Amino acid sequence: MPDHTSNGMQCNEFDLLLSDALDGVLSGTGLDRFEAHARTCKTCGPLLAEAEAGRQWLKGLTEVEPPASLVNNILASTTGVDTQRLRTTARAQQPRVSWLEHVQASFLEPVWAMVRQPRFAMSFGMAFFALSVSLTMAGVKPADISQISLRPTAIRRTYYNAQARVVRYFNNARYVYEVEAALHGIKRNLNPAEPRSSKPNEHKNDTTQQPEQKQERNYSQTGEQIILASVPLGPSLRDLPVVSVTTYRRFV
Amino acid sequence: MEDVQVVAMLVRRCIAGDAAAWEEIVQTYNRRIYNICYRFAGSADDAQDLTQEVFIKMYRTLSSYDQSKGAFVTWVTTITRNLLVDHFRKTKQDRMTDSMDSTASDHEDAQPLSEQIPDQSAPPDAHVRSREVSESVHQALSKLSPELREAVILRDLQDMDYKEIATVLRVPEGTVKSRINRGRAELARLLQRTYRQVM
Repeated sequence: MPDHTSNGMQCNEFDLLLSDALDGVLSGTGLDRFEAHARTCKTCGPLLAEAEAGRQWLKGLTEVEPPASLVNNILASTTGVDTQRLRTTARAQQPRVSWLEHVQASFLEPVWAMVRQPRFAMSFGMAFFALSVSLTMAGVKPADISQISLRPTAIRRTYYNAQARVVRYFNNARYVYEVEAALHGIKRNLNPAEPRSSKPNEHKNDTTQQPEQKQERNYSQTGEQIILASVPLGPSLRDLPVVSVTTYRRFV
Repeated sequence: MEDVQVVAMLVRRCIAGDAAAWEEIVQTYNRRIYNICYRFAGSADDAQDLTQEVFIKMYRTLSSYDQSKGAFVTWVTTITRNLLVDHFRKTKQDRMTDSMDSTASDHEDAQPLSEQIPDQSAPPDAHVRSREVSESVHQALSKLSPELREAVILRDLQDMDYKEIATVLRVPEGTVKSRINRGRAELARLLQRTYRQVM
């Protein structure tokens, strides 16, 4: 601002008094000197008019409304109070879910959805069938399961009963074998001269007693074996035991 | 403006950890701080972010408030102003008031303010007209230099007295008055030029 004097007032002084004049607090001789300077000074006169106009323009500006979320955002970013409140409100809006419904929603429903697929349905059906057959054969009835006592004393008694049953079964089996062996011994003693010719027939394929007589199959000869030469049996040979010869066997 | 004792009690409760007291402070001052930020930054989004930053800084430095050094509203406004200055430096919106006239007259390519506001040849009604005027004043305000703008905002929009403004801006009272006068005059010149071109 140029600093020159007009009507006994410098432009710097005018500038300082301008705000007071616009606010209406300037009065008396100060106001007269101020107005006189404004009328004569080519710089300060327009400045007074412009400042007054600018002030009027600014008076027309009204306060703007802050966004509705501003307070919540401020509280959330400072104390977190509003965040907790919102979380509480959101939790209150959700219906209460029991633990059974929670398990059903998180575990049973996905499993059931998988079971309902055709490829798994047949597998589970077969498994159930096999299990039910096994339980039936084992003598387990569904009605018995409900009567099972799971008390420790009852479980211990069941264990000892099962153990005693197994021991009894093996003792009985051993007694039966001993009686059977004794009967065989008695029968052998009663018929001591029984011919043993039937023995080879009983154990026709038993080669354990004759390791040197290997059974060899000649797969090239399919028909009956032809005997090209034979020797008449002499009297010395008649005493030899008779050996039966099958047609499919070679002479050794 | 504010009951000193009530505010002092609120501040003490806040420092003691009373969330309700802090909420009351936020409810009381958010509108004022938002308006300062909006008029200074020019955009609603920036104003919202800046207002939150102001309250975060307030929350952290609330214990440093000294009642004997000034009113709480002055302290709050000082925090706001400091953050606005930082924001201005970051965004580099450096516009000098003294160069605004020469910019418009010397550079023919410069976009006049009249091109930035809608055509006012046929205003539908007085309400729309009033809103358009407010918008043009808001845009003209954002064209002022930050020194003049902050002084005008605190005086004409926030009704602070010269002493409080001097405390906030940390300049002598005479400088405050001078800046306010120049700011008002500059704003009037901008708007007169705008409406002369529109008419």
